[in-house]
Amino acid sequence: MAFVEIDGLIKRYGTLSIFEGFDLNMGSTDRLVLIGPSGCGKSTLLRCMMGLEDIAGGTIRLGDDDYIDGAPNGKMKLNRQVQKEVGMVFQHYTLFPHLSVLGNLCLAPVRSRGIKKSEARDKALGLLERFGLADRANFYPSQLSGGQKQRVAIARALMLDPKLMLFDEVTSALDPELVVEVENTMMELAEAGMPMMIVTHDMHFARNIATQVVFQERGKVIEAAPPKDLFGNPQQDRTRDFLRNVLHIEG
Amino acid sequence: MELDFSFLLEYSGVLWRGLLTTLQFVGLAVVLGLIWGFILSMGRTSKNLFIYWISTLYVEFFRGTPVLVQLFWIFFCLPLFLGVDMSGFTSAVIALSLYSGAITSESFRAALKSIEASQFDACTALGLPNGVRTIFVILPQAVLRAVPNLLSNVVSLFKESALVSAVGMADLMYVGQNIANNVARPIEILSAVAIIYFCIGFPLTRAVSMVEGRLLKVVKA
Repeated sequence: MAFVEIDGLIKRYGTLSIFEGFDLNMGSTDRLVLIGPSGCGKSTLLRCMMGLEDIAGGTIRLGDDDYIDGAPNGKMKLNRQVQKEVGMVFQHYTLFPHLSVLGNLCLAPVRSRGIKKSEARDKALGLLERFGLADRANFYPSQLSGGQKQRVAIARALMLDPKLMLFDEVTSALDPELVVEVENTMMELAEAGMPMMIVTHDMHFARNIATQVVFQERGKVIEAAPPKDLFGNPQQDRTRDFLRNVLHIEG
Repeated sequence: MELDFSFLLEYSGVLWRGLLTTLQFVGLAVVLGLIWGFILSMGRTSKNLFIYWISTLYVEFFRGTPVLVQLFWIFFCLPLFLGVDMSGFTSAVIALSLYSGAITSESFRAALKSIEASQFDACTALGLPNGVRTIFVILPQAVLRAVPNLLSNVVSLFKESALVSAVGMADLMYVGQNIANNVARPIEILSAVAIIYFCIGFPLTRAVSMVEGRLLKVVKA
């Protein structure tokens, strides 16, 4: 059985329809990279996975559990226990600016998971050490570079031991020279076996980190295949057209 | 015309007491206005339509009428309505608190609204319950963002407080006018009063811009 099972997802913003029956499966060792033209619903899909969006229909399962059961008019059912197993990192860091790095990492474990302060602190320092950020523990977000902020955001999500990580264009807001440090952190997580769903415009990175690349357009999966196949030998015309455009632009 | 400031020394005690009175009721009005303003801002962002409209009407009324009219109304009309005797000091504190609450609530409201939706998303992604989100994430940021505005409200209130002299409160302005009448030297005495106001107001204004620069650097991460 698939680790993530998205079945018949329906998502609309007013009269604008993003998904009208979207299906996608993901295995427990997969790292799914979603690519496609802007506005095709990649980020929306991640937001739905995180429970940030109201879903008008369809279901999402995670592991052995029902996670989200979509229904019209804001009657969606969401299993909060399952939601806790999902972590997300956003494009614009979304660190809490009034808290230090340590404060950002410890807030959720201490205030909503009932973990002891000292315990959370030790765990946070361990994670920061691992990401080479130990000397930044008492800094405030405004004192960090974009790359450091994003790695702190990743560490903050990892504090809650997620079983699935979502990355929504996490390097898009970064200066080019800072992209690599964030991508390396994600590669390290990948090597440690973390299942991930990633939205990125960096095709080179997609090729490196993905086990499966999903090309979607207008709210539908057009083609899904391992990166070697999808980039090397795309089967669909639309995939080929898209790749020709983006790879050409990338040079 | 000859200017003679030497007689001011003789009246320094009176001026000092006037200044203390001003500082006392402005200080009280600032504190009460902060609390009242915060409550009002909650009403202004409430989903309950009744609470929303009542608080909005209140705020717009106090922002849309002259402070002098509000002062007169509370000095002369409110005691009649309530059937109680109020000292001038009490009336001044009530009037200025009601007014500054309306102004302050707008600063809080703007600060609350300025917090990005992504901060709420982050809270959801971290599984923070609503209470934790409000107390540990949203409120601290809103208060930090409101500080520069709140401080400039204090400066305005301090200056506008001179209006209470019009209803016979013995504040700095009133004392100054009295002395001016007594000694028939309005230029010297009114200049002195202006300088005293400036000596308090100017450092406050400077503090506002300093705090503004520093806080915004922290808050806009």
